[in-house]
Amino acid sequence: MKRLQLQRWSSSVLSPQARAGSRLPRRIQHGLRYQSTNPFPVTDAEAEQLFEEEPSRSSIRPSQISKHALPSPPVEAARESAKLAALHARLYLPSRLPLETLGRTLVDESADPNANFNNESLATLGHDLLTQYTSEYLICTYPRLPMTVIFAAMYAYVGPKTLAAMTNEWGVELAAAPGGEVDPGHLQFRRLAPGTNPNETPMRTDRRWEEQTWRRSVTSKVVNDNVFGDPVRASVNPKLLAKAAAKNTAGVSAEEASAQFVRAVVGAIYLHAGRPAAKRFFEQHFLSRHLNISDLFNFSEPARDLARLCARESFEPPVAKVLSETGRLSRHPVFVVGIFSGKDKLGEGAGSSLLEARSRASVAALKAWYLYSPMNVRLPNSMEEDGAAPWKPVHVDLGEVIV
Amino acid sequence: MRPSVRLLNLEVPPIQGARTLYVCSVCRHAARPRPIVTRQFLRNASNANSLTEKVRRKIWGTDNPPGLKDPYGGEGALERRFKNKGAQVIEEAETPEASQAIDAAASEDAVPASADYEPATTWDGLDRVGHLGRWSDLPPAPADVYESFQVPKKITKKELLSLAAHQAVVELCLMHKLGKPLTSICEVVEHDKLIFKMIWKTKIVPSSNGQWSEALEYPNKQAEEALVYIFKQIGAEEAAETVEATEQVEETEEPLDELTEDLDTEQSKLAFCGYQKPRDNGHLSLSLNDPATKFAFLKRFSQLTGHFFPDPAAQSITTVQEAVTYVQQIMKSKPKKLADYLAKNQQYKKAPNVKVFAKRQKRSDRDEDLGRKKLIEAELRARGLLE
Repeated sequence: MKRLQLQRWSSSVLSPQARAGSRLPRRIQHGLRYQSTNPFPVTDAEAEQLFEEEPSRSSIRPSQISKHALPSPPVEAARESAKLAALHARLYLPSRLPLETLGRTLVDESADPNANFNNESLATLGHDLLTQYTSEYLICTYPRLPMTVIFAAMYAYVGPKTLAAMTNEWGVELAAAPGGEVDPGHLQFRRLAPGTNPNETPMRTDRRWEEQTWRRSVTSKVVNDNVFGDPVRASVNPKLLAKAAAKNTAGVSAEEASAQFVRAVVGAIYLHAGRPAAKRFFEQHFLSRHLNISDLFNFSEPARDLARLCARESFEPPVAKVLSETGRLSRHPVFVVGIFSGKDKLGEGAGSSLLEARSRASVAALKAWYLYSPMNVRLPNSMEEDGAAPWKPVHVDLGEVIV
Repeated sequence: MRPSVRLLNLEVPPIQGARTLYVCSVCRHAARPRPIVTRQFLRNASNANSLTEKVRRKIWGTDNPPGLKDPYGGEGALERRFKNKGAQVIEEAETPEASQAIDAAASEDAVPASADYEPATTWDGLDRVGHLGRWSDLPPAPADVYESFQVPKKITKKELLSLAAHQAVVELCLMHKLGKPLTSICEVVEHDKLIFKMIWKTKIVPSSNGQWSEALEYPNKQAEEALVYIFKQIGAEEAAETVEATEQVEETEEPLDELTEDLDTEQSKLAFCGYQKPRDNGHLSLSLNDPATKFAFLKRFSQLTGHFFPDPAAQSITTVQEAVTYVQQIMKSKPKKLADYLAKNQQYKKAPNVKVFAKRQKRSDRDEDLGRKKLIEAELRARGLLE
């Protein structure tokens, strides 16, 4: 069983500034922008101009162009590539997913700006599917998880670092530079110029008043930020964005390109083989990875949190009692402390001092509460199948204790 | 080596002893000039007035001592030859008729008409080997045309191989029966269609004693007579006469096959007159124990099929069947290159994740697959290391 990338903890451990910015939310925002007229109203003339800027395909015949002139391998090359066929077989992909599409998932937007040949659209779909399935799974399986832990778990399951690790485990090699002569079995993207900082921090969001991290609340993250709780980059004028894409000067990091590839594979499976195949793929490749969610918690004052929780749930206030002890006067004493609410023991912990043992017991009690998981979990996406049983609403708790 | 002046000066006893260096007697002796005699002996070892010559004269007591002037036997054979040739060339260049002589020689070469001309069998005594020049300008003579002993195109079909074996066996059986030299059948490259039909109709029934002359079973009496008559012509006379004979036979047997005449012109180019397989396989079980018969059979068979039998194979073949099988095995043999073998393999052809390259994949190919090659080339161009 593969370990998940625990690069990110709940927000109190790691500041969100240390994370690499993703292109994806920007694109989604970009897509949203077309639907609303809020930040930069696009006139009809501009939209037409944008449309015209796309290269017309009808005038170009494939036989006229040499392989070396193409930005990405031609579609016919996919059938001849042994690496692509091997990757298809290794991932046990459905036969309905053709090699040509698999080849397309390996072409990043930075390699080929033409949307008909790169994986951007597939990756957008795949990202939506992955985040939907993962969040459903997390919320239904652990209905009491705090929001920060959900963000961290989401990042651990479908975050870019995990996806990049998966690309590596799948045996996908990275091409040095994109081009028509490159074997279509390699992941192709334009690399970052040397000396570029991949973790460029200043990201301009639309919310100027929240630029400072300490002002960003969890609620704000839920409402405004992306699925990982990262701030979404400010939307850009699409005209400028198109110009930047045409220039194609900026590269992407290998991690970002790998993540896009995995997302695109999920999207391609969904499109070609259907929803059940996509779900099976998600279970086999994503949910099968081991993630110890209890490691994601980080309590600063567990005893206080537990007291608040008991008050909220109208339990009797928690009382710590020494269950057993040894060597109190020695150099290494051990105390075993239990937390009791009335007659019920909520948790138990051992420590070298009474305080430590009590806080450990409180942490155990809090984790026992938060990590509650119902017996037979049924995910909402099971309703998509034909002839599914009527939906019984799942229990989702209020969430964390706010002190 | 000139002796050092400084060292020689040391022989004079020094007046001021403190200023001069001490030199040991060995060095002083080495620095002294050597006797002239030895030097001359070294220098003029081969001269007429050399020391050795003087000593020889003194020993013999005459001015002309006996013995060879050159103790090494004079010039070598090659030197003498080159000397003569060089002299000749110079002479030829001097005479203005030289080029005419060459022309005349060439014309003589082209028309060896004189009765007393006798072609040389070895190059001993010849001034030169080969043509005298302008050979490429002469029109081709009948002797220049090369005709292959074997058929130009090798026969590969199994049935046709069997048919060729049948033909060879029937012919050799007839030659056996007529008591003619067996290999003389090879003079007839191709039979007429009618004769071939008779041969094709003749069956081979191997006799118990393995005699080839008794193995034939003719379709009818007429055919037997015709075949015997035709094969009597082969060997002693020229091939042209056999053609005449076949014409006679054609005249006699015209009523037999009138219908096939139309096809005759079209099918004459086909191997074995268009027949595809023998009527029966009795000929395959004939044994080739008799070396003369075996040699004749293999010669005729290789002439008809175009396949050569190397000595080890010819040694191991004992029946007609084995000869046919050997040819089939040759054709089935594995390709010499591994890539060809792998490319033909159906298992690898079906597998999409296996790619067989005809050429060796080098590092540059790998670079190109990764897209690295163009970066390397661009960098080399930028540094002026690549045109």
